[in-house]
Amino acid sequence: MESLDPRVQRLNIKQDGKDFPEKPELDQWITYEVFVQLVEDKPFRHEGIVHACDLDMAFILAKEQFTRRYTCSGIAVVATHEIWVSPLTEDQESVLDMDPSDWPDAGKEGNYEVCLLYRRGKQHEHAGQIQANSSKDAFRMTAEAYPGDAKPIYNVWVIPTDKFRFSTPEEKEIWDTLPEKRFREAADYKAGDKLTNFKNAIK
Amino acid sequence: MKQEALKELLYKMADDQLILGHRNSEWTGMGPLLEEDIAFSSMAQDKVGHSLVMYQMLHQLGENDPDTVAFMRHADQFHNCQFVELPIGEYDFSLMRHFLFDHGELIRFELLAGSSYEPLSLAAKKLKGELRYHKMHADVFIKKLGNATEESITRMQRSLDYAFPFAMGIYEPSPFEESLIEDGVFKGENHLKDLWLESMTKVLNETELKIPDPEAVKPVVGGRTGKHTEHLQPLLDEMAEVFRVDPTAEW
Repeated sequence: MESLDPRVQRLNIKQDGKDFPEKPELDQWITYEVFVQLVEDKPFRHEGIVHACDLDMAFILAKEQFTRRYTCSGIAVVATHEIWVSPLTEDQESVLDMDPSDWPDAGKEGNYEVCLLYRRGKQHEHAGQIQANSSKDAFRMTAEAYPGDAKPIYNVWVIPTDKFRFSTPEEKEIWDTLPEKRFREAADYKAGDKLTNFKNAIK
Repeated sequence: MKQEALKELLYKMADDQLILGHRNSEWTGMGPLLEEDIAFSSMAQDKVGHSLVMYQMLHQLGENDPDTVAFMRHADQFHNCQFVELPIGEYDFSLMRHFLFDHGELIRFELLAGSSYEPLSLAAKKLKGELRYHKMHADVFIKKLGNATEESITRMQRSLDYAFPFAMGIYEPSPFEESLIEDGVFKGENHLKDLWLESMTKVLNETELKIPDPEAVKPVVGGRTGKHTEHLQPLLDEMAEVFRVDPTAEW
């Protein structure tokens, strides 16, 4: 079958696919986690991942993957493997009530960013920065500081602050026009309305 | 302020943005990796958006509406430089063109933010953040590929050598240069070219790539006065194909 897309036709791809070089399995970059701050003073929220070869590339790719709509005041990216992850709990069980003694530890003395999962199936939110001796130490300190009567926390991420690439205040202008980019929102095309009008017109 | 001079400036900018935006959008769905496909497509969309702002400004000055201007002209009525109409080639060339073009485009917008023509200065202030991102994106890729492997360095160098005379052609002075400078509309192509050379040299100096000697290179000019390569008309035919079938269709 021939493509109707002139760009594809120009590629002159042979139908048997023999033009494509063989690629080794899992030949791809590592993953980076992307956090987005929608408006100033709101917490950064985990949005997803990008593949990249380093922090700078993760940063520029994250910008277009996760901040193409609504508003954005800043992003932060960090390599997935830098994240210390607690076990996951559910229902009324808060992971902060668990004893971490037997869990693996990571990291050395320094600043850590702590992200909490407030609802199962939702995204982690940045809760704050803490100075600690290790990742597990940061978890313990978080558990101690967290009010006992507050709603349960289902998962905790602890990440060394210096492993992040945060957007700088000067870089903020890259999101200046974002609120006006209505054409990038699916709803803005009003496809449903157009379809209804079309159906009514041909009745 | 001389309207003819202003229109010439707006047309060449808008046509550069539209044609490069269309060219770069040809990578949509075919980028080297998913994330980059999305980022490059999104920047192509920005470029087309910038051209719309310029065409709207021209419409205010009495020119035809943006759709007609974008889709109904023949190649020899376009004022884009030849650089932007060249086929996308392989990804190394498209990246190198993006790098060379957007370094200049960001500075152009920074200069225009201080233009005496208010609609242009407002638009430049508003849009330059997008170009800042385009430059950041280009710089990361050029620094990576300009330092990575023998193959990547060779490919980027070849693209740079090929692209450079065309890139110099972006700054072909307009016949209205002095009038634009005098009226405070724009600081002029020569001034911009110097700042551009400085800006992109800084980044290339962090790579293994060798910058061709600007004094020894003959800029490829002519685009500003409607002289184009054989690549532009087929691009226009493809871009306007749907519009020409039904110019009143709503999207």
